[in-house]
Amino acid sequence: MKILIAMAGAALVALPALWGDAYYLNMLILIFLLAIMAGSWNVMGGYTGYISLGQSAFLGVGAYATAIAADAWSISPFLAAPLGGLAAAALAAVLGLVTFRARGNAFIMITFAMLYLLGVVALNWTSVTNGNDGMILPAPTWSRDYALWPFYYALLGLLVLTLLMSKAIASSRFGLGLMAIREDEGKAAGIGVNTSAAKLAAFVASSVPIGVAGGVYGYYLGFLDSRAMFSIVTSIMIVLAALLGGSGTLWGPVLGAFLLEPFSQLTNQLFTGPTAGAWRLIVFGGLLLAVLLFLPKGIIPGVRQALDRRRPAAVGRRLALADVPAWLAVGDGARLEVRDVRKRFGGHTVLDGLDLTVEPGSITGLIGPNGSGKTTLFNLIDGGMRPDHGTILLDGRPIETAARWARSRAGLGRTHQITRLFPRLSVLRNVVAGSDGSWTAPAITGAQAARGAELLELVGLADYRDLPAAELSYGQQKLIELVQILMLQPRLVLLDEPAGGINPTQIEQMGALIRELNRTGTTFLVVEHNMPFVLGLCDTVHVLAGGRRLASGTPQEVREDPLVLDAYLTGASR
Amino acid sequence: MQAVLFGLLVGGVYALASSGLTLIFGVMRIVNLTHGAVLVAGAFLTYTICTATGLDPFVTIPVVGAVLFCLGWLIHRLVVQRAEHGGEGTVILSTLALAMVLEGVTILIWGQEPHTVATSYSRTSFRLGDLVFPTTQVYGSACALVLLAALYVLLNRTWLGRAVRAATANPQGAELVGIRVERVNVAAFSLGVALTGAAGAILAVLSPFTPDSGEQWIGLGLAIVVLGGMGSLGGALIGALVLGVAETLTATYGSPGWATAMPFAVIVLTLLLRPQGIFGIRVREDVVSA
Repeated sequence: MKILIAMAGAALVALPALWGDAYYLNMLILIFLLAIMAGSWNVMGGYTGYISLGQSAFLGVGAYATAIAADAWSISPFLAAPLGGLAAAALAAVLGLVTFRARGNAFIMITFAMLYLLGVVALNWTSVTNGNDGMILPAPTWSRDYALWPFYYALLGLLVLTLLMSKAIASSRFGLGLMAIREDEGKAAGIGVNTSAAKLAAFVASSVPIGVAGGVYGYYLGFLDSRAMFSIVTSIMIVLAALLGGSGTLWGPVLGAFLLEPFSQLTNQLFTGPTAGAWRLIVFGGLLLAVLLFLPKGIIPGVRQALDRRRPAAVGRRLALADVPAWLAVGDGARLEVRDVRKRFGGHTVLDGLDLTVEPGSITGLIGPNGSGKTTLFNLIDGGMRPDHGTILLDGRPIETAARWARSRAGLGRTHQITRLFPRLSVLRNVVAGSDGSWTAPAITGAQAARGAELLELVGLADYRDLPAAELSYGQQKLIELVQILMLQPRLVLLDEPAGGINPTQIEQMGALIRELNRTGTTFLVVEHNMPFVLGLCDTVHVLAGGRRLASGTPQEVREDPLVLDAYLTGASR
Repeated sequence: MQAVLFGLLVGGVYALASSGLTLIFGVMRIVNLTHGAVLVAGAFLTYTICTATGLDPFVTIPVVGAVLFCLGWLIHRLVVQRAEHGGEGTVILSTLALAMVLEGVTILIWGQEPHTVATSYSRTSFRLGDLVFPTTQVYGSACALVLLAALYVLLNRTWLGRAVRAATANPQGAELVGIRVERVNVAAFSLGVALTGAAGAILAVLSPFTPDSGEQWIGLGLAIVVLGGMGSLGGALIGALVLGVAETLTATYGSPGWATAMPFAVIVLTLLLRPQGIFGIRVREDVVSA
């Protein structure tokens, strides 16, 4: 494969000298341009899962910034093109802020709206952009015999740089964080990925190459027209190229561009006359629809999947309590205090002035009828939601307004009632996704892989290492989710129904594992409906009813408390 | 004063147009990007019916609504339902793809030129003191308000409406109490498209339109629902009135060129500063489905 790519690369480098037909050089230049744009889009759309419908705005911004700078300082647009990248980065940094508080829909809309907005600005801000008349760039100064060569090599070089960037991101911790965001953003934050910063950086990275390419492309055209530079059609071509080849893969967008651009040129020749535009809309709209419905993964992942079919099934081993690795010993567990916490959903009060304490090094149980606020409390502690009132202290420090990933870094780990893993990532990647490490570090360092393997061995799932998490059974997923947070060496672990939906043997083993981890210091707070399990495991139990703490004590005390019996029997608080 | 009142009248029609968009988003969490193309299709249908039969354009609303209800049903069955497996992004992109196809078909049928639908009373107006109200504008807003009132009654007084509201609040919960959410989705989507088409029929009388008017109209529609809060019908009404007034004011006192930027600026600013809009509330992130 590498040889093939190297040969193709060498052929592309030698091509202008060997076969300088202007028609094909022009087509290749346009292919490179589309490949740069689709490859950059892929960082945000493919790796991170945030679809931008306004990616062509960066092309326009880059082109205009370059043209204006080249004109102002009388320098070659080639020298000014990096400024186009800078302008695109600045725009992306502002737009990316929307991802801090809103998810996919809002991102699609803001990118879509920004494209049109900038188009109108470019058209109306006549003093800077020359409005309707467009901007003329200086004519090339070199010999006509090589007229296209500089553009060809500039864009080819930029394409190589874009691919190197994409590859570097995909194989780094930063990239693993992005993929975790794509699979389950809340969960990614829950295991310590700084999601806001990662999304912003990804969007900026996906804008810069397009901005630079815009500068080169503008020079190539020699003339900037606001409608052509800020065109939704270009954005759609970018998305289409990436999806066709396979978004989220390194080469998919490039393959898509090499297929799509010649096809686009072909339709240009095929459809002429007044209805040409209409037919092109129908053809490309139809093509996008066909790809979305019938080839949703794209060509490269589709082929890969077909080749992967013949793979032996993995077999799990019994969860035999091996030794808990020494590095998991945290020494002293964390202390958690919940003070007067209130949370309402509309007119429904779920937590109504809750106070409770989880002593360091304890296994504390949290029980209560359905709807008593147990999971809501977990969501407030781990940062999925904010309380309306009250304080939550981790080792004496208030955390109720801290970002989710920051709480995870502070030593808080949480599993979910319904397991939340990153379904398309491998088991090992799931396990190490949250661990520490700078963005530039490899996605999985040797040390992390070793620790991950140790933990998988601990729960008997070492053979499943390279399988996508989605292929695991429910019980196995529960174990992986536990291992995933152990990787973070948490000092307080919140378990939401660890024994729910798994078989009795597994329940026993889960209990033994929790006890074993607790011996090394980790504090546990466990929500569970399985009374024998929770009463047998915990040293303190808090009972919740109607959003308040009804009772606390040892399992024995709680078991005999008339108030508790009453709450459970009637299912309501008094 | 004149401009504000005029804006309010236009806003009434915009409210109808965006009610379809917000209804579909509310129930299915789908940003329906065919919105603009459907508005244009409604306008052209009215044009064709009026030139063929000489009927009053406002009479065509039920017919246009019915035709587009069927179109909405088809879109949902053939595209949205299939795209749902790919997730939210796939659905939105597929509506965008469909919008392109629809625009292409519209150009093939009706051509690129601007069209207008004229009535015998196009040049007349009502006067109230110093204020002038063009007759078509008044009738158009009245029709829009009647349809919005009908929608309100439908949502609040019928079983289907209850089902729609239930599915909006919590699809899984609705399913559990015996509502066939998939059917509610089809009904809401078709209804949303029909309402949008009806608004297109009214817009046809108010201003000239071309097949690519959809781009401007969808910007306006998105701005309204984003400002009002995605999925909130009351919010869409307020948002529509605000944007109607803002549009006439910028067109009157600013330049028409910059007025086209206004909806897009509203979308960008609202999403950056207050993503839930004026009336949108952040709903509980459902732990089970998340």
